[in-house]
This record gives sequence, structure tokens and C-alpha cells, in this order.
Amino acid sequence: MRFFIRHITDKIFTILTVLSVIMLVAILAVILVPMLRKGLSAIVFNGTIEFRKMQLDLFSRGDIDELKNEDIRSRLYRNKIYETIESFKQNIDSETLSDKAGVIYRNFGKELQRKNIKGAEYQKLRSLSRELRDKLQAVFKSSDKKFIQENISDVLKFKNDIAFKDTSIDGLFVLAEDFASDIEHIDLSRRQQYAASLKELENIITKLLGPNPSLPVPALKMDRYGATRRDIAEKLLNRLLWLEQWQQDSPGKPMKRVITPRAELFAGTEIEPLFNYIRENLDEILVFKPAFYWQYFIDDSTPGHYFGGVWPEILGTVFLTLAAMIFVFPIGIISAAYLAQCQSDNLIIKIIRMAINTLAGVPSIVFGLFGLAFFVLYLMPLFGGPSKPCILTAALTLAVLTLPVMIRASEEAIRSVPQSYVEASLGLGAGKLTTFISVILPAAMPGILTGIILSVSRVAGETAPILFTGAIAFGPTPKSIFDPTRTLSYGSYDIAIGDKLAALVPHNQYGMVATLIMLVFCLNIAAIIMRAKISRKLKGH
Amino acid sequence: MSDKKAIIKSENFCFYYGSKIGVKNISMEIYPKSVTAIIGPSGCGKSTFLRSINRINDLIANIKTKGVLLVKGHNVYDKNTNLVNLRQQVGMVFQKPNPFPKSIFDNVAYGPRLQGVKKRSYLQQIVEEKLKAAALWGEVKDELNKSALALSGGQQQRLCIARALATNPDILLMDEPCSALDPIATGKIEDLIDKLQTDYTIVIVTHNMQQAARVSERTAFFCLGELIEYDSTVKIFRNPAKKQTEDYVTGRFG
Ligand SMILES: Nc1ncnc2c1ncn2[C@@H]1O[C@H](COP(=O)(O)OP(=O)(O)OP(=O)(O)O)[C@@H](O)[C@H]1O
Ligand SMILES: [Mg+2]
Repeated sequence: MRFFIRHITDKIFTILTVLSVIMLVAILAVILVPMLRKGLSAIVFNGTIEFRKMQLDLFSRGDIDELKNEDIRSRLYRNKIYETIESFKQNIDSETLSDKAGVIYRNFGKELQRKNIKGAEYQKLRSLSRELRDKLQAVFKSSDKKFIQENISDVLKFKNDIAFKDTSIDGLFVLAEDFASDIEHIDLSRRQQYAASLKELENIITKLLGPNPSLPVPALKMDRYGATRRDIAEKLLNRLLWLEQWQQDSPGKPMKRVITPRAELFAGTEIEPLFNYIRENLDEILVFKPAFYWQYFIDDSTPGHYFGGVWPEILGTVFLTLAAMIFVFPIGIISAAYLAQCQSDNLIIKIIRMAINTLAGVPSIVFGLFGLAFFVLYLMPLFGGPSKPCILTAALTLAVLTLPVMIRASEEAIRSVPQSYVEASLGLGAGKLTTFISVILPAAMPGILTGIILSVSRVAGETAPILFTGAIAFGPTPKSIFDPTRTLSYGSYDIAIGDKLAALVPHNQYGMVATLIMLVFCLNIAAIIMRAKISRKLKGH
Repeated sequence: MSDKKAIIKSENFCFYYGSKIGVKNISMEIYPKSVTAIIGPSGCGKSTFLRSINRINDLIANIKTKGVLLVKGHNVYDKNTNLVNLRQQVGMVFQKPNPFPKSIFDNVAYGPRLQGVKKRSYLQQIVEEKLKAAALWGEVKDELNKSALALSGGQQQRLCIARALATNPDILLMDEPCSALDPIATGKIEDLIDKLQTDYTIVIVTHNMQQAARVSERTAFFCLGELIEYDSTVKIFRNPAKKQTEDYVTGRFG
């Protein structure tokens, strides 16, 4: 019976251990696999012509001739969009139309002077043209179709007037005729609404296709290109096609989201078919092609991470981690050596140990505030430096954060070095320091490296401690340790809290996180290989 | 024998671990260039006494001593004792082979390097000489850069002896050097001890009566922290003066 129970408990124990391992692996897979897959989308994706233009402009990558051909083809489709919008805009935009009429009127005046027409003749033509202009401007402002038709036919009566033959005043008649034919489809009472809706539409189109080529090139790089990826393009197309509004049925009721086709806003106008046109021809307009953007890892990004890569972030993370390690390594080992040497029932040692354990459990934001208060605001000015966050202060803060981990791991490692090594070394006449450096430290190295692995993983991924002590989201690559730096952790955090940024460039956020995971992974692998080598050497293989 | 001048001399030497007695009132003289064995039941203070001679016991907290322990005329527990000098003169071989996790060469060269020897050729010369003295040269001469931990237990123990010899000590303390080894390896170490006694003073602690009888010239019998009898090995084993000693060496102890 006893034997049977023991057998059962042993089995249960085995099953539990296996289960927990499986669960651990499953959790890791659930977290890591989607993260890496999404991160991969920053590198492998369906790129648009805008992406290839950007690559060519900013980094001189890609095939110029091929891109030119693609551009010419896509222009054919794009131009129709621009033309449609332009003509519609003119018709609803009474001010532009009035301005145009005004310009024609003024040019006509200059023409008259050039032709040396003077006196009563001049006065007569001048006042007549002014009258026509005023009539047209009244027409443009009006939303009364009857009034418009009457006035336009009034104006057009003068079309064949001998005095106006072959003069620039002709433009007024063209304007009037165009307007008459165009407004047949336009509900003039909704001009104001059209103008607002059109502005929004143009905005989305600019985001989708990039700026209108007839306009000057925007100063900011991030404004120069449209959607670079299919997923973003589709998101924008969605926004283009569907209008999202929040409505409240009656006061006090919760707001409700209502989605309607944006085309309804332009029902009956020449804009209406444009929506279908864009949807159907998106492929031709944006020329999708698979992109393998491995340069993601070595490119700088535009502000806001709209385009480009994470090289400065990678550099910053590595630098910061190494700098923190430079502080942690010696301090951690020396403290660990001290603690390992002392008997643990000493009161002071007990207090120190308690302090270290407490420190290990303190939330990282507390370290961030401590770093700000102590390193940035106090220590930097004390040494005559500027009181500004920089790599040095961030590294010091991270070092303080990870010191407990390092000390505990190293102490454990130093304690586990066989006493017989120490005795042998001392027996040969070595001092304590020599024994520590040439016998204890090499033998404890695998354990110390474990501490370093834990510290590196923590330091590379921490955001809160460097919030106020040396991380920036945008900015130049640092020139010295007295400049702040971009890091992967802070970059992804910034995108996450940035206004709508996460929705606009999700691939970049995931890309950064995945890069961080891989970076930590690589650093760890390096340390693990080193540890394995040292252990093997220590074991004598 | 007594015409020789003692190289180690203890007079009423007592050693305390805190309030606990390790050994008490040990008075004995150990003569140079000979093998002295210390035997006795477990926990009787053999190691305590042996480890006092080169003060390796200093690693333990709260230790106290009384009486005098002289090595070459100097009181070991004097405040001004230079521990480095003392330990270089009094080498030690431990119960379990404990080579450093370094190469064979580095193990033997550890002591000379501490003494400031830097020249590679000189180090090589020392290493060869000491490995030969420890009867290990023939087995390892082609693989001096191999890790010492890759050697067998017996080879490791001989390496530890070579390492101890490399600081040119006068005295070699051995605390049960063969207890972790098989009979063949033990035989080799015993031959080595026999050979070494022409140049070194050897004090060996052992639980093996035959070993003590085989290798030593004089034998000390400890019991409960006290020195019961100390005389020539022949006398101790054939004709001990004390009843306790006789019981112990004939196996009737306890
Ligand atoms: N570090 C220590 N702290 C406290 N007491 C100790 C310590 N080392 C040894 N002792 C005690 O001192 C006494 C003598 O121990 P010692 O190791 O010298 O015995 P030994 O003769 O070498 O025994 P064995 O043959 O088992 O090695 C023992 O009672 C032991 O419990
Ligand atoms: Mg012992």
C-alpha cells in the first residue's frame, strides 16, 4: 500500500513538472510568435510605389528606370483623381471663382492700356467689364439656381460683342459657361459642406498618394510620401470610403458610432464615382510589389517613425546596455565578493542584504525618478556638467536598477567556488586579492555571466528608468555619453503613447519590439556561449 | 635521530575553534628530511594540528591558540609572522586532489609566478623539474596545456604535490593524501613520499596503519585532541608504551 501511494505521488510529481514546462513553452510561444511575426511585417511587406520612391530619394536604392515607368503609369490614374477634384473644387469654391473673375477683369484693363485705348471708349469698356464681373461674382456667391441662370444668360449676351472680340475678357465667358454646365449636378445650398468634406477627402488622398505633384514639395520628409505599405494603404482606403461619425440620439444617451459611405456626401456630383474609381484601381495607382526591407535595421527613420528603420535605436540600446554593464560589472563583483566573504550572521551584513533584496523589488519608475533627482539634477551639476539627461545618467540609473540582480547572482557564484581552491591558493603563499583574481573569479565566471545575462535582458528592455534620465524619441545620434539617445524600448513606448501614431505605424512598433527581443536574444546567446566555453574549460574538456 | 635539530617544534600548543577545543597541549618535535606520520581516530585533531603549522586554519573565524608552535625556530602564531613566507616554506597537500581549473602548466607555475618569476623559459624549467620530482612528468609532458581537471585522481594528487613543491618548501604537509585514491595510485604516491624525504620534511596524516608503517620514520598518535604517544614508527607499531596506542594500532580501539 505504502509503495503504491509513493508510486502514485511520484507519477503525479512527474506529470506536474512536465505540464508546467509545457505551459511555460506555450506561454512563450503565445507571446513571442505573434510578436515576432508582426515585427517581421516591418521588414517583409507589400510595398507601394511610394515606398520605392522614398527609398530612391532618401537612400538612393532601387531601379530608377523601372520606377520611372511605374510612376508614369500610375500618374495616368492619379491625374484623373486630381483633375476631378480640381474641377469640382472650382465650382463650389465661390471665392476662387470670384478671384478668377477679378483677375480676368484686371488683365483686361491692362490689355486696354496696352492697346492704347483711351477716353470714353476706355471708360465704356471698363465699366461694362466691371458690370460683367460683378454679375458673375454675384452668381458665384448665390445658391439660387434661377438667379444664376438669368444672370449667366445676361452675361453671355455680350459674348459676341464686337468690342470684346479676341480680348482676354473672353475668359469671363468661358468661366460662366463652365459654371453653368457644372452646376447642373451640384446642390448649391450645400457648397459649404462640400468644401469641408472635400478638404477631408483631399487630406486622406494626400496621405494615400502623397502630396499633389502640382504643389511644391513639402519641407518635412514625412509629408513627402503616401502610403508605403499595402496594409496602411488599405486602412486609408477604408477611411476614404467610409465616413465614421459619432451620434447621440438624444441628450444623456451614450454616443453611437455610425458608419456611412463617404460617397453619400457627394451624391450626384462628379466626385461620387471617384470613390469606386480609386477602389478599383488601387493596384494601378500604388503599384504594389513585395518588399524585403532588411535595411530596416540599418536605416535612420523620419521623425515620428513614419518611414525608415531603427538603426539609431539599436545603437542606443546597445550603447546604453554596455555602458550600464561597465558600471554594474565591477561594482557588482566587488560587493558580491565582500558579501560572500562575510559571515551572514553579522548585523550589518543582514541590513545590507535586506537593502539589496528590497532594491530588487522596487518598481522601475522609482529608479527613473531617483535617477532624475540624483544623477541628472544633483550629480551632473556637482561635477560641473550641464544638468541634462544623457547616456551617462541613463546608464547609471540602469546600473543601480540591475545591481541587486548582479550582486545576488555573483555572490552565489563566488560562494559556490570550492573552498579547496581557496585553501590551495593560500597554501601556496598567495594573498587574498591574488587568490580572488586568479582563482575565485575565473571559477565563479559562469555564475557571474548568468548575472550579466539577467542584467542585460533587464537593462535593454527597461523604459521607465530612462524616461527622464536620457532617452529621447526623436533626435540626432549621440556624439558622446553626454548626449541623450534613442532606444528601442523607449521608441516603442513613444509610438504607443503617441497620438494615433500606434494606429498609423503599428508595423514600426512591432518591429522595434521584435528587434529588441532579437537583440536581447543575441546578447544572451553570446553570453551563454561564453559561459558554456568557460564552464567547459573549468571542467577540463 | 635526536642528534638532529627539530625543524618543527610545538610546546603545549592548544588550538580552539571558538570555545571548542581542537587540540590541546601538544608537545612534539619533528625532524628534518624525514617522514612523520600522525595517526588517530576521527575527530581527534590531526588535521587541526597539521593545518596549524602553515596557518591555513586562519580562514576559520574565531580561532584561538595557546602555547608555541615553532617552524625553523620562528613562532608561527607570532603577530609578525609573514604568512606568505611561512606558506611558501610549508607546502600543503590536501585530502581531496584540488588542482586549479587551469592547465597543468599553470597549476605548477602558480607558486613561482606568485614569487615573481615571469620568464617563460625559467618557468618551463621549474615545471619540468617539479613534475619530474612528483613522478608525473612522463605521463603529462606532451600535454602541459591540458586542463588539470582532465587528469585522473592519482595524477591530480601528484600534480598537487608538484604544485606544492614548486614554491621550494622545506616542509610538506599531507592530510590523508591517498584517501581518495585507489591502491595503485596510493602506491605511486607512497613511492613518491619515500623519494621526496631525502629533500623535504614530510608530515603526513593518515588513517591507514600500513601506510604509516610503510612510509614514516616516526609516528604520533593523537586521541581526543591530545598527543598520546610519539616515537619511532617501529616502536609505535611493535611495542607501544601506552595501552591506548596499542589498542588503536591493533584495531581494538573503540
Ligand atoms: N571549522 C571547524 N569549526 C569548529 N570545529 C571544528 C572545525 N574543524 C574541526 N572542528 C572540530 O575539531 C575537532 C578536531 O577536528 P579535526 O578535523 O582536526 O579531526 P581529524 O582528526 O582530522 O578527523 P578526521 O580523521 O575525521 O579528519 C573535531 O571535534 C571537530 O569537530
Ligand atoms: Mg582530518
